[in-house]
Amino acid sequence: MTKQQANWSPYDNNGGSCVAIAGADYCVIAADTRMSTGYSILTREYSKICKLADKSVMASSGFQADVKALQKLLAARHLIYQHQHNKQMSCPAMAQLLSNTLYYKRFFPYYSFNVLGGLDNEGKGCVFTYDAVGSYERVGYSSQGSGSTLIMPFLDNQLKSPSPLLLPAQDAVTPLSEAEAVDLVKTVFASATERDIYTGDKLEIVILNADGIRREYMELRKD
Amino acid sequence: MEKMTLQDSNQPNNSPLLNSEADSQRTLYPYVTGTSVIALKYKDGILMAADMGGSYGSTLRYKCVERIKPIGKHSLLGASGELSDFQELLRYLDELILYDNMWDDGNSLGPKEVHNYLTRVMYNRRNKFNPLWNSLVLGGVKNGHKYLGMVSMIGVNFEDNHVATGFGNHLARPILRDEWHENLSFEDGVKLLEKCMRVLLYRDRSAVNKLQIAKITEEGFTISQPYSLKTFWGFSAFQNPTVGAEGSW
Amino acid sequence: MSIFEYNGSALIAMVGKNCFAIASDRRLGVQLQTVATDFQRIYKIHDKLLIGLSGLATDAQTLYQRLVFRHKLYQLREERDMRPETFASLVSAILYEKRFGPYFCQPVIAGLSDEDKPFICTMDSIGAKELAKDFVVAGTASESLYGACEAMFKPDMEPEELFETVSQALLSSVDRDCLSGWGGHVYVVTPTEVKERILKGRMD
Repeated sequence: MTKQQANWSPYDNNGGSCVAIAGADYCVIAADTRMSTGYSILTREYSKICKLADKSVMASSGFQADVKALQKLLAARHLIYQHQHNKQMSCPAMAQLLSNTLYYKRFFPYYSFNVLGGLDNEGKGCVFTYDAVGSYERVGYSSQGSGSTLIMPFLDNQLKSPSPLLLPAQDAVTPLSEAEAVDLVKTVFASATERDIYTGDKLEIVILNADGIRREYMELRKD
Repeated sequence: MEKMTLQDSNQPNNSPLLNSEADSQRTLYPYVTGTSVIALKYKDGILMAADMGGSYGSTLRYKCVERIKPIGKHSLLGASGELSDFQELLRYLDELILYDNMWDDGNSLGPKEVHNYLTRVMYNRRNKFNPLWNSLVLGGVKNGHKYLGMVSMIGVNFEDNHVATGFGNHLARPILRDEWHENLSFEDGVKLLEKCMRVLLYRDRSAVNKLQIAKITEEGFTISQPYSLKTFWGFSAFQNPTVGAEGSW
Repeated sequence: MSIFEYNGSALIAMVGKNCFAIASDRRLGVQLQTVATDFQRIYKIHDKLLIGLSGLATDAQTLYQRLVFRHKLYQLREERDMRPETFASLVSAILYEKRFGPYFCQPVIAGLSDEDKPFICTMDSIGAKELAKDFVVAGTASESLYGACEAMFKPDMEPEELFETVSQALLSSVDRDCLSGWGGHVYVVTPTEVKERILKGRMD
């Protein structure tokens, strides 16, 4: 008799969508809180957003175990940085660190899709968007994860950032006010939840500005 | 599958790929497995339930396997999947608790710490392409704080108010989501778990009617003696499953 | 790569108040190479009925010819135009005839039915119909289109607003899809007229 063989993969896709929008003096980072595997929901309250430093916040979807390992590694690296430099890492520095960390595992990648949002040294909003092996770009807004194909065109439509090919380079921050940006994020997640089975349950929004950090929540469809 | 067998028996088997099973040093597939574990938070702590079957493929090989074990003073661990891997994990945990105890500083590892340790062990083993073939449930209470979490074979982990592994995620979690609430009493918690276990018994082929329910609170843990659920097989749909489906078997 | 993605396409139909709009991109490609930038994927069956055929262009054209043929026969026998519902069933049946060697097309059908009630519908390549009340999309840009439409759609839009919405949804969606783009064709159909407009878009 042939043995019935169970097979395994070192990767899983736990789904979820992430969005970040940079403004002149703020940054909004958002993600849903559903965690799934295949057609099953594992939990409806798993935060995909991780505060890496005072002024940088990362939202990640993909394979949860890899994401967790990545978050722990970055936290450890940031602790060392604080001991050596006696200050918090800036968001652009953290962006480079994240890129290097992802590329370090180029041939057994972290299956994680990240957006990093925060405030740069001038207090301006900044968003960095990545692929799983670390290529990254500073942009005005971005979305990653299972619902990104649904969300991205609408963000393009509403935020129309100047082409990155323009010379001299144009500022990529969005013209919206903070409240408008938060509203936009709520709209895109409500839309993505309609059509993406891996997005839903609850929306977690983190807002960074000169006053500090603030969190908001919104219920999403649970089906 | 039939074709594969024929080929295998007729051809000389020199390929190292085909022969790799003989000298493999890792779990390529599970041998003896346990089915679902379910657990929930209730008013005073955590309740966990698992049956006592150990399946060898589709054979019910063992009927008295304890799949819920205490870890240290504050935690309970329930496991589904490969039972030998579970026992290896218990050896790791015994050592962990022992070495922690030897500090003799009055501190002890709580459920949160043990759960975190488990996530790292599971993830580390998957990184070595040598996974421990289990889904684990960890529950416990320490300093008035209830904790309930899960870890999968490849290190995916989370906390929730109620969790279930394997078939339990399909059959028991919907019931738990419907009926669970924060202030569940011990009696209601046990009733809810038994309801879930009964559904699993009816519909999960590898489940057996011999289970243990474990409780952990601030005062400590108790794991029940094995017992059976009352079942009723007299439903007309059970007795004549093909009624209304003429022409089928 | 899937044969459905060989030529690239984006199709959308949306319902408004006593009107509907149907739109497509204008690109025809062979995988990543663009070979035409004025390609027509939307065909008129009669004054109040249009069909868009996404997917493999050669199959789309063949299928269109068969549909015109069948519609002409219907006109001869019945001395009237086909209702959109009937036409959708016809397309579905023709597709299912080729169940095991299908046309690699996903059609989008839009028309005005009895009392000028708008009707939209899409189906897969073997004819499984999906009737929607709000909008339907198809093609390689379908995911982007779903996202855009889901966020932009409002019920009971007037023809002009409907045109704007469909155009915005189409243009922003095709810009995120490598295989479709080069502007768009938009048809807005009201009980009295069919307005056809051509959109300019990004040329990359």
